[in-house]
Amino acid sequence: MDGITGAFGWLTDPTHWQGADGIPTRFVEHVELAGLAILVALLIAVPIGLYTGHTGRGGALAVNVAGIGRAIPSYALLLVFFPILGFGLLTPLLALVLLSIPPILANTHVGLRGVDRETVDAARGMGMRESQVLTRVELPAAMPVMVAGLRTAAVAAVATATLAALIAGGGFGRYIVDGFALQDQSMLVAGAILVAVLAVITERGLTLAERRVVSPGIRLARDPDGERADDAV
Amino acid sequence: MIKPEWIADNLGVIAGALIDHLVLTVLAVWCGLMISLTAALLIRRLGFLRGPVTATFGILYTIPSLALFAFLVPFTGLTLVTAEIGLIGYTLLILTRNILAGLDGIPAEIRESADGMGYGRRQRLLAVDLPLALPVIFTGLRIATVTTVGLVMVTAVIGEGGLGQLMLRGFNRQFPTMIYVGFVLIIVVALVLDVLLQLAERLLTPWARRAT
Amino acid sequence: MRTFRRAALGATIVALLVSACTSGGSSPSATTAATAAPTAAASAVASPSTAASPASAAPTGSIASQLTLGGPPECPQRPFCVLGLKDTYGVEFKLFLPLDAGGPLSLSAIKSGLVDVGLLFSSDPSIQVNNLVALEDDKHLQKADNLVPVVRNDLLAKAPGLPDLINPFMAKLTQEALTDLNKQVTVDGKDSKSVAAAWLAANGLTTGGTSGAGIKVKVGSTNFYEQEILGEIFAQVLEANGFTVERKFQLGNREVVFPALQKGDIDILAEYAATALEYVNKGAGEATGDAAETVTKLNTRLAPLKLTALAFAPATDQNAFVVTKATADKYKLQKVSDLANPAP
Repeated sequence: MDGITGAFGWLTDPTHWQGADGIPTRFVEHVELAGLAILVALLIAVPIGLYTGHTGRGGALAVNVAGIGRAIPSYALLLVFFPILGFGLLTPLLALVLLSIPPILANTHVGLRGVDRETVDAARGMGMRESQVLTRVELPAAMPVMVAGLRTAAVAAVATATLAALIAGGGFGRYIVDGFALQDQSMLVAGAILVAVLAVITERGLTLAERRVVSPGIRLARDPDGERADDAV
Repeated sequence: MIKPEWIADNLGVIAGALIDHLVLTVLAVWCGLMISLTAALLIRRLGFLRGPVTATFGILYTIPSLALFAFLVPFTGLTLVTAEIGLIGYTLLILTRNILAGLDGIPAEIRESADGMGYGRRQRLLAVDLPLALPVIFTGLRIATVTTVGLVMVTAVIGEGGLGQLMLRGFNRQFPTMIYVGFVLIIVVALVLDVLLQLAERLLTPWARRAT
Repeated sequence: MRTFRRAALGATIVALLVSACTSGGSSPSATTAATAAPTAAASAVASPSTAASPASAAPTGSIASQLTLGGPPECPQRPFCVLGLKDTYGVEFKLFLPLDAGGPLSLSAIKSGLVDVGLLFSSDPSIQVNNLVALEDDKHLQKADNLVPVVRNDLLAKAPGLPDLINPFMAKLTQEALTDLNKQVTVDGKDSKSVAAAWLAANGLTTGGTSGAGIKVKVGSTNFYEQEILGEIFAQVLEANGFTVERKFQLGNREVVFPALQKGDIDILAEYAATALEYVNKGAGEATGDAAETVTKLNTRLAPLKLTALAFAPATDQNAFVVTKATADKYKLQKVSDLANPAP
């Protein structure tokens, strides 16, 4: 278990907090990759999920696509994309986007479909336009489920961004891959701790966000951890 | 890009990798299920365990897979054991959480009527509690299985990996056919296992079908 | 209004993708050559002699000081890589980029210009095929890296005749043969198994031996494709003599695989004499250009580990520092020592 005590020594060594392979640089690389992937995934998955959720059309397709997406391992995607796209952010970014779309898409769709139909009809009866029904009624009600999907995706993206190091990428995965190659358990465990801490912070942060977006009127009605929503796929 | 003749010449190699992948996956999910069932039943008996056990499994789940497999190598070597420890570890959170959710979700009236009918504790568990919890358990089982199929791929870095090793070998010698064959088969394995589990769930919960 | 929103959305996606592409060039993770060496790990792997030697002040403004070196992650701490370049040639690069062991990452990093100098292996046919230039090792940093099987002693105790089965084939493994085997796999896209079988058949392997009946052997290889071909050669020779063989390939690099050999996760592994010696002796600098001498010393070092090096092959596979033709022309590079010349 030298690796675990060694890791704290490694993490507290000031030389590891500077330079091109220092923790701050690797942190920025890691967050840049995972963050960009989530952003792109949101831009793709939310509009599709809103459409299928609002209209009810193509819902099965959306959920199935999401299910297949979950079956594709990210490491496999890296090996497939690298020979085509080569070095750079694009290869791991694409792999992470494909990883992040399923939970966001599924939860957006399920969240919207879960909105009480009578409420939606009442809104229409009040003379709201379809866009108003979507933005004023459906979205606020679906928001917690959607954020739960975002949370699942973000935690997975943070954890999986580690694999980018296997194809010469940066991020905290570098410490894990190099620590393994050098058989330096301290560096390896330090890398694992950094990834885990970042994942937990992401988790907690988005759980807080999830609580905040619950509209007060429906706060009582839902499962506080949103875990059921995660498993909805 | 893809050379069909390689596939024809190497069906044995491909089948070997496929079987390795299936064995790694099934062994991990089965062991994970047994451990999770034990853990969940213990938690139901000894409530104070719930926090510590789920927290432990949760921490295990946050360790990046690449790091866990690499970390274990000096202790358990480049072996199946190393791969399985990691793979089993990652199934525990999902499985335990869903088994508990399934058991917790059984209405008190049903338990009481089972007690009233003279069921013993073990009898009630096998005849009433577990069957009623099956749909939620199966949801967890399906997620755990599909996730494990993907994670097996990562064990290629420690010389296991099943189809993942086929992909990595193709990658290292720049032979795309091996990469694509491995890729397609991994997805097929995940989807087939998922469908099989859905079928198993239907067979095991006939009442659910009648209800709908 | 709606079309405007759609257009805005599309534009954002495009902008993001473009920014991803353009920032891509800088994304592979550089390690400054200067900060790479004194990490905590260095003391464990790096040679004591290196640690003790006065920091050979790199001539500032050398060609190398403007270039990026790419190689396997362990390169900064290997005596025949970054450490040796510094000690023997006084060459220090601007940056080091961790890639793989002479695999697709290294090759495409050199070809795409992501690194200026890359580490490949001298028996790699990709060097010729891609019109790359392997810099001449004019100060002989690389030693006798002849191929040599390393076997666990407990396997030899069970199968004392095993060296006599493998040694004849090692003797026939010339440089041409090795390069050709590599070419068949990595350029022609043949399978290592059939390539090894064809070579063994052409070199007189007869099947049906029974000397290994009932003995199990785990043949290992690192994640470098040449290793898999050699692993196949060992495996097929042993199978032809009745051994039960388990293949454990793609096991990682030496730092991972060698301990596995010591522990018994594998029984036999193709090694490279000089590099293996300097790994086992922790960089004591014992390896020479003489293969017989180097293997004798290797066996002295392996004895306490209960391992034995068998007969070595005439073929070698050394670290080769490789540049593109364009880089070679631009900086007038032919030899590794040219890297120490002042930058233009």
